Formats: sequence, C-alpha cells, structure tokens
Amino acid sequence: MKIAMPDGSRKEMTVSVASIEEILKDLHINPVEVVVAKNGKIVPEEETASSADELKIVRVVHGG
Amino acid sequence: MLNDLEKKRYSRQIRLFGEDGQKRLKKTGAFIAGAGGLGSVISIYMAAAGFGMIRIVDCDSVELSNLNRQVLHWSDDVGRSKAGSAKDTLEGINPEIVVEALEETISRENIDQLLGGCDLIMDAMDNFSTRYILNKAALQKKIPLFHGAICGYQGQATTVIPGKTACLRCTFPRAPPVTTFPALGSTCGVIGSIQVTEAVKYVLGSGGLLENRLMLWDGLSSSMDEVACTRNPSCQDCREAGLERKDD
Repeated sequence: MKIAMPDGSRKEMTVSVASIEEILKDLHINPVEVVVAKNGKIVPEEETASSADELKIVRVVHGG
Repeated sequence: MLNDLEKKRYSRQIRLFGEDGQKRLKKTGAFIAGAGGLGSVISIYMAAAGFGMIRIVDCDSVELSNLNRQVLHWSDDVGRSKAGSAKDTLEGINPEIVVEALEETISRENIDQLLGGCDLIMDAMDNFSTRYILNKAALQKKIPLFHGAICGYQGQATTVIPGKTACLRCTFPRAPPVTTFPALGSTCGVIGSIQVTEAVKYVLGSGGLLENRLMLWDGLSSSMDEVACTRNPSCQDCREAGLERKDD
C-alpha cells in the first residue's frame, strides 16, 4: 500500500487489509489531527484499505 | 443600478462579467466570520470587488503580533477593536458599499441574528468549534459556506452548498486540537483569495466551485492538490438540518 504522509514524504506499507484507524495507529499519527483519502476520496476511519490502495494522509489545519 | 462612479470603479470587472454581474455582487450580503489573517484578505477583496453589504464580526482587539498577516489593521490600530479597525479600512477601500463591523463572539445563541440579511458565509475563523456553528447555520438557512483554514505554509479550502455537497462536519467529523498556530500572511493571501473567488463565482453562477473538493495548498513545495469529499449519510449536522443524504 502506498501512503502519502502529511509532510509530503511517501511510505510503502505491507498489509493485506486493515482499517484506516489501525493504519494510523501503526504510523503513530493522531487520528484527530488528520483526514485520510483513499484513492483520492476522504473516507471514515472505519473504512478498510488493502495493498492495492493508495492513501493520502492530510493534516487538518485550523488557523485563520 | 450602478452609478457612474461605480461603473468606473468596477470597469475591469464589468469587462469580465458585465454590469449584470456587478449588480449581482452589489445585491449580495456577505457575512465574514473573523477579522484576522483570512478575514483581512477576504474582507478587503470583497469590499474592493463591490459586494454590496459586508458584515464582519470579531471579538478581539488588534495586537502587535497580528500585524504580520492581518493586513486590515495597521500599526496605529494596535489596541483598537478589530471590528472598528476593519470598518475604517474597508470603508476607505470602498465607500460605495455598506460595512457593518460587530465586536461580538459568535455563538449558537447569536448566530441567527448575526446572519440576518446575509446571503453567504465566509469562514475566517481560527477554530473548529465556531466553524461548526457556522456550518450548522449555513445548513439550516441553506446558504453557502466558504471554508478556509491555514497553518504556516499550509492551507485548505472547500465550498459547502447545503443539500448538494458534503458539509464541513461530513468532511471534518472531529475538530483538530486547538494550538497556537504559526502563520504567514501570504498563506492567508492564497487561501482567502480562493475563498473570495469561490464566492464571486457562486454569486455569478459561473465556473466550477470547490464542491465536494478539498483543495490543499502547500506553500513549501508551491503545490496545489485536492481530495474528494462526499456527503456522510450519518452526518449529525446534515440530519438536524433535514438535509441527510438518503441515496444509500
């Protein structure tokens, strides 16, 4: 699974199927601070992703 | 009706979208939530563009540390209310429009009153708890919400059209933790300008909006990206406004 990290770096993760929640936990990312797009579309944490999927983890900004 | 001074003032825009388009802007009341970094850029461009009524709300006073990005306020304004400072600046930019500047804290209790007579909401807040108040109000009144947020070199923007697009809560179900965020004025410039462009296009009915699209600006790499958002069938805010998605 290819993952675009919030800092712009890229990671490859070997996992058959896992929930977004589990993937974030493995990456030590606080789920409250991000939204995750699977194959270009934002999905809830309960959604699962498999090896063929591409994830983009976006850090949510709140300032104005 | 546009007077002769307005026709001259807006002549470059009239070349772009005609007198009818300019009249539409003149008839539009814009609510701007916040007179900080984003609110500065948004209000200045909306005033200059000729949105007929601008109501800008902020509860704070101008501090020296605001001046790197909050271009509505100048050094002499330090210590004044941001609302008062905003009114002077915006009326100086365009005396043809009506500017209402209110020194208020936006809350669930006063949002309906604050939005009276406004056709659209510009999100220039610095926290998600108030953004969720704006989101609910937009859904209930069925008026668009133009979202923007920044941190350092990064920014995001999306446009919420109630009943048609994902709302703010659909896309961001939980508020990120509140922190003292780093801020660069030019990042506010990028995101605030996108929000105003969205509002102009919405009023004119032209072009494509950031509907169900979250635009992401990374100033460090000078790149734009976007991800798709979808309406959440179990979104509480949509449900409370009677706008729940029923197609799945």
